[in-house]
Amino acid sequence: MRFLWVTVLAAAIGCATVSVGEKSPSLRPTVEVLANGLTLIVQEHRASDIVAVYLWVATGVRYESAATLGHAHFQEHMLFKGTEKFGPGYIDRAVEGTGGRSNAFTTFDYTTFQIQVPTEAIGTALDLLDDMAFRSKFDPREIAAEREVIFEESRIETDTPKSAIVRQLYGMVFAGYPYGRPLLGTPATMNAATQDNLKAFNRRFYTPENMSLVVVGPAEAKTVRPLVDRTFGQRPRTNYTRPSVPSLAPITDIVRRTVERPEQQAYLALGWQAPRLADRDSLAVDLVATILAGSESSRLARTLRDNERIVSRVTMNNATLQLSGIVYIQAQLEASDVDLVERRILEEITRLQQAGPTDEERELAITRAESDHAFAYETSDGVASAYGIAYTTATLDDELDYLVRLRTITSEQIRDAARKYLPVTAYARIAFVPGPRK
Amino acid sequence: MNRRALAFAGLFVLLLPVAAFAQPTGITRSRLPNGFTVVVRENPAAPVVGYSLLVKMGTRTETPDDAGISNMLQIMLVRGTEKMSGEEIVAAADRMGGTIDAYGDEDYSEITATALSRNWQSMLELVGDVALRPTVPEGTLTGVRNFLVRQIRNRGEKPFDVAGDRMRAALFGNHPYAWDPIGRRESVEQLTRDTLLAYYRRQYVPGQMVLAVSGDVKTADVMAHVRRIFGAMPAANVETTPRPAPPPMAATREVFTVPGAQAQIFMAGLAPPFTHPDYAALKVMTAILGGGMASRFFSDLRDKQALAYSARGQYVAHIDTSSFVAMLGTAPNNAQKAEAALKEQLARIQNEPASEEEVAVARSYVVGSQAMDRRTNARQAWYLAAAELAGVGYEFFDVYAANVKKVTRADVQRVARQYLGVMRTVVVQPP
Repeated sequence: MRFLWVTVLAAAIGCATVSVGEKSPSLRPTVEVLANGLTLIVQEHRASDIVAVYLWVATGVRYESAATLGHAHFQEHMLFKGTEKFGPGYIDRAVEGTGGRSNAFTTFDYTTFQIQVPTEAIGTALDLLDDMAFRSKFDPREIAAEREVIFEESRIETDTPKSAIVRQLYGMVFAGYPYGRPLLGTPATMNAATQDNLKAFNRRFYTPENMSLVVVGPAEAKTVRPLVDRTFGQRPRTNYTRPSVPSLAPITDIVRRTVERPEQQAYLALGWQAPRLADRDSLAVDLVATILAGSESSRLARTLRDNERIVSRVTMNNATLQLSGIVYIQAQLEASDVDLVERRILEEITRLQQAGPTDEERELAITRAESDHAFAYETSDGVASAYGIAYTTATLDDELDYLVRLRTITSEQIRDAARKYLPVTAYARIAFVPGPRK
Repeated sequence: MNRRALAFAGLFVLLLPVAAFAQPTGITRSRLPNGFTVVVRENPAAPVVGYSLLVKMGTRTETPDDAGISNMLQIMLVRGTEKMSGEEIVAAADRMGGTIDAYGDEDYSEITATALSRNWQSMLELVGDVALRPTVPEGTLTGVRNFLVRQIRNRGEKPFDVAGDRMRAALFGNHPYAWDPIGRRESVEQLTRDTLLAYYRRQYVPGQMVLAVSGDVKTADVMAHVRRIFGAMPAANVETTPRPAPPPMAATREVFTVPGAQAQIFMAGLAPPFTHPDYAALKVMTAILGGGMASRFFSDLRDKQALAYSARGQYVAHIDTSSFVAMLGTAPNNAQKAEAALKEQLARIQNEPASEEEVAVARSYVVGSQAMDRRTNARQAWYLAAAELAGVGYEFFDVYAANVKKVTRADVQRVARQYLGVMRTVVVQPP
């Protein structure tokens, strides 16, 4: 991620709670596949005069090798550092000069470059993205400087316990699997990045067949298409084939880790492997997460936070990735309560597994999803993110039909999903506790 | 500056052309006989609604002894009313597909809410209930107080927060902007139910309140219910005590030790309030230095010198004298170099005029920032209410955008010289 580092994890992992969708007569995108294999998704959205032009590339941490850890993210940074046409910094000036904004994120499954501009500047945004993707220079001096910037990004993450704990939990839930790798790489792999290997990475993954463009705003497909034809449409197909998918070993036991940190505030996280977005079970797991700790009046918020007051904050997310998912609970608490809170969380899970949710809880969780959807779709960038994540990690229909399908999930299916995906005898658990005072 | 005084009662309808929005936007403002102001913006684009109820109460109306009282009172409002417990409030908001929350800031305190528009009326009732009938339940108060004290402790362990808090204290001295809205441990520990309720009765008077509603609603319906809910509040006056002026600027430098992976370097000076004629020019200057990714801090300190991941300039203007802050986080072994580089940046903008292109990009950036920030109904409601509460009228933000477009290279250099000449420095580094 380039700039808004505070949200590194929330955005990088693409929580299911933000990526919900609904079959709505007013919102139906136009999907076209260009001759060179690039997918163009256009959605008319007239809430404001700002258009979101988002490029999605199916490259990310899971496509890296042990020797190139962190290079997908390094690639993302370097695309802003000068192209054959534009010098370093030009892209930022061009976008901000229209009153717009740009950003980029790398996750496990994709890298996305996001430009928001006033509608009349769609062409400018496409020109910039096209040049960044296909004609970046990877100047060795810029590589050296940007590497230091990424090391700073890594220090910021270390200083932000809420991000650090989730990243470490991923490492435990997906041990030995690509989703357990460090997004920002290691000092050794980052130091090994050169102009040659970053260029090779670019040639391999940044191909039209491996990309989608999502354009959302007051614009129609018939006006956007010609602009795309004369930019991205000109790039040749490379007959890219996706690498094979490794197999994921399940968690068979309780894996616990405790990390000593400088701050007195303690943090606890519990995680399980979950179904991917394309899997129908993921909907029931979404509802499990909302009912347990996904809203202000959820079970864990009421019991542990409001009544027993042993946590100051508790949340639960079901993050769906392309090959798997991860469902996890995070709590902010005092160090002396870590074991108690872990036990209480397991008791609440067991209660849900035995008796299932009440009808009211199920209703509430569906209302929460409707509301998340309505607020995410308020802005063009919210829609562009939802479409891009769904198209890249599952299918667009998984997004468009989300709410309709969610309403068909029964209380029994929610109970069964809790039984199947949240075993209280096999999970990963990490705690941050205060270390000895210096 | 457009200083529209809301000195008369009555209803007037305005159709405001906002450049950033493709559709004409209907905004209606009304003042009830008791002085309560309401603004409604109809926006049928999405089936949602946002509410912002602002009260002229914040650190600005606090003293060192009750620092943090505004924020704590706000939190307690959503913890219990004569009709509902805190749990019931939260559950009700969840059923409406919405949220309700409250907090205190420097110049104002906000009750902020959202809902699916089919529940707009229930949420309006709930906002009215927490604003008008809070009970500040004793049992919950202890939990909230402990939570806040822990939050204050946590701030003391985060290098970035420590740098910000130390800088506030240095810049503002005895003026209440010297503390964060969360307050100080010593004061928050001593706030009781009686103190909070007395403060509530003093500050929650209709002439000091503005409610803005933006979303898929009908203006006439909202107005009718607002009149019923808030029109019954008795009118009253708030006595304002003058606030001590911040100490005169001086070139100070303080160093603090906090464990962490990064060192934080802040440099700051006093800057004018948002009603000052220099407001727009100083916003543009701030954008040139440390606004977006085209800014000098980003392109020079990060892209060229790789001294930071984030380096920003911030000028959040308040009702009273405010501040400009340049902030940078870097590896501890780079701290010395980064401090010198930051200082050099602050000198350069005073010594040589910015280029025409830089000023043009920064003007667009500042205008664009507002358009970007105003896209959701919740933010629209806040903007409308904040301008009304400050007494400048919601048209202020359009006048401001027009003023920004007029800022020249000479303006930028002049305000840089005027406000960046003497700066305070705070460095927070690991042991």
